[in-house]
Amino acid sequence: MEGLKLAPALLLAGTLGLSLLVGMASRTRKGEYYLVSGRSTGRMGIGAAIASNWMSAASFLGIAGIFYLQGYMAFAYVVGWTGGYVLLLILMAAQIRRFGKYTAPEFVDARYDSPAARCVSAVITILITLIYCVAQYKGIALVFSWIFGLDYTSSLLFGTSVVICYLVLSGSLGASRNQQFQYGILILSFIVPLMVIAKELGYFWVFPQLGYGQALCDLASSPQGDSLAPWTSGTPYQWMALCFTLMVGTAGLPHVLSRFYTVPNLRDARWSVVWGIFFIGLLYWSAPVYAILAKISEGHSSMVPTPEAAHAMADIIVIKAGEWAGLPLWLIGIISVGAIIAAFSTVTGLLITGAGAFSYDIYYRLIHPDATEKQRMVVAKATTLVLATLVVALAANPPWLIAQITAVAFALAGNTLFPVFLLGIWWDRTNKYGAIAGMVTGLIITTSALLLGQSVPLIGTLLPATSSALIGAPLVILVMILVSLLTPPPPKEIRRFLAEEVHGP
Amino acid sequence: MASEQDPTSRKDDDYRVNFFRPREGFMRQKVRYTWILLISWAFFTFGFQFLLVMVQNTPAGDSLITKTVIFGFPLHYWFSGQFLIVWFILLCVLFNVFVDHLTKLYRKRK
Repeated sequence: MEGLKLAPALLLAGTLGLSLLVGMASRTRKGEYYLVSGRSTGRMGIGAAIASNWMSAASFLGIAGIFYLQGYMAFAYVVGWTGGYVLLLILMAAQIRRFGKYTAPEFVDARYDSPAARCVSAVITILITLIYCVAQYKGIALVFSWIFGLDYTSSLLFGTSVVICYLVLSGSLGASRNQQFQYGILILSFIVPLMVIAKELGYFWVFPQLGYGQALCDLASSPQGDSLAPWTSGTPYQWMALCFTLMVGTAGLPHVLSRFYTVPNLRDARWSVVWGIFFIGLLYWSAPVYAILAKISEGHSSMVPTPEAAHAMADIIVIKAGEWAGLPLWLIGIISVGAIIAAFSTVTGLLITGAGAFSYDIYYRLIHPDATEKQRMVVAKATTLVLATLVVALAANPPWLIAQITAVAFALAGNTLFPVFLLGIWWDRTNKYGAIAGMVTGLIITTSALLLGQSVPLIGTLLPATSSALIGAPLVILVMILVSLLTPPPPKEIRRFLAEEVHGP
Repeated sequence: MASEQDPTSRKDDDYRVNFFRPREGFMRQKVRYTWILLISWAFFTFGFQFLLVMVQNTPAGDSLITKTVIFGFPLHYWFSGQFLIVWFILLCVLFNVFVDHLTKLYRKRK
């Protein structure tokens, strides 16, 4: 390990401080009604908010890493994480908005009218939060390790304490996140260094996203002889299963549309999704370029890493690409700070969601219904800390890549929450028994590959942990339909609400 | 066209919501559009991968498609890495145009 890199460390401290200041400025300017003031930002602004909410270490570091190791297979992530928005928009978003319940446990409770179902969905939400956070922590630890020259474990602990301090500080200062500002920082810190790298290596640098075809072709004809064939690192089944899983997983995490639900005008909300996908696309068009240009640099210096070494540095290949192309340290520092900001904001959002699911949906609604506001706050804060610590333990030694860990969270969402939302919205006959049976089946399917994948090879092949929803989601939907038909229909009041309010013109 | 039927003519206690048998009027129109979009979504995303498998000459997937170069890219890289995102954006635009049109139509009739 090399020592502390001063320029990136200063940049990081400066950016975190600046985003706290901007957050406080947004609060004082817009007051408490920050979230409702969507109209003034316009559709493009809401789209930027959606995109900044979405961008995590998986987008920022993970996709390039997968692309570096697996080539065409990585497009399953790119396509899955953008195509999922189409599914969410055309099938569910407007209806969820009309329902007025935006978190999974709240929706489940309102639609299925069952504390048990609410509890199961809250547990699933917490599980998703944990897995998703592990991936972010891995990203934070790797980048901290690069900046501060520490080993992985110390970086993990250091990074975690910075996350918690940041969370507490922004909470006590009442800083609201200015998501447009954040999107601007993220996308610039991703694309500007990329342009410089492309220029250094002699490729079309104005739009490296459009110009890396030349680099691809150079790579294919280089002495390394990297194959560009589509199925070199995975079968067509694996590609499609992964892609489908990420799509339904995205649709099963409706909070990814956050601002969609709080913008006063539904029409603005719908159109803002177009901007949202475009802004997310900007990042996804660019991520593979990092991996390709890193490979080109490797070829120039004819240093070919061993598979183990390649695997170890895949998740920070965006940083390595900068180093190998000979970028100045401060410019590489910008990339690393972007990655940290993306991971931080995702972790903050996730921890708050997970803590909310426990303190409100489980503790308040189930265990202790007459808890005061203050007690609930204490439980929420304690849960945040417990979750944050739990994630550290889980992230201590993850053998998987960031994008793969994230994909497991999406598989879980796609196998459980997606069917519950989909049928809940599109079939009035779905009842609580169906929902509970479906979510439990989905949990079993998702975990089966993790638990049994080694001993039963067929499960490992058909239901890989990252991609189990191609078979899992339809199976769960089937279970939900069968169980619902065998048990009494849901109350008339709910069906009336669904037919007239949710699906009205 | 189904839109010419009166959307309020259904029985008051018919609360059917079923994607495969939508009620007449607004919902049936909307579901029809949703089907069109869903099919174009699946056809382009997964249909292209099936095509790659069908024409492949080697197990790794080398074929005429992967040898074709378009805008400087091998065709399959261009399609999955660049075009599909553009296509998704287009689908969302189409969806919004459809729904804007339907909402205008049915809000007026009420």
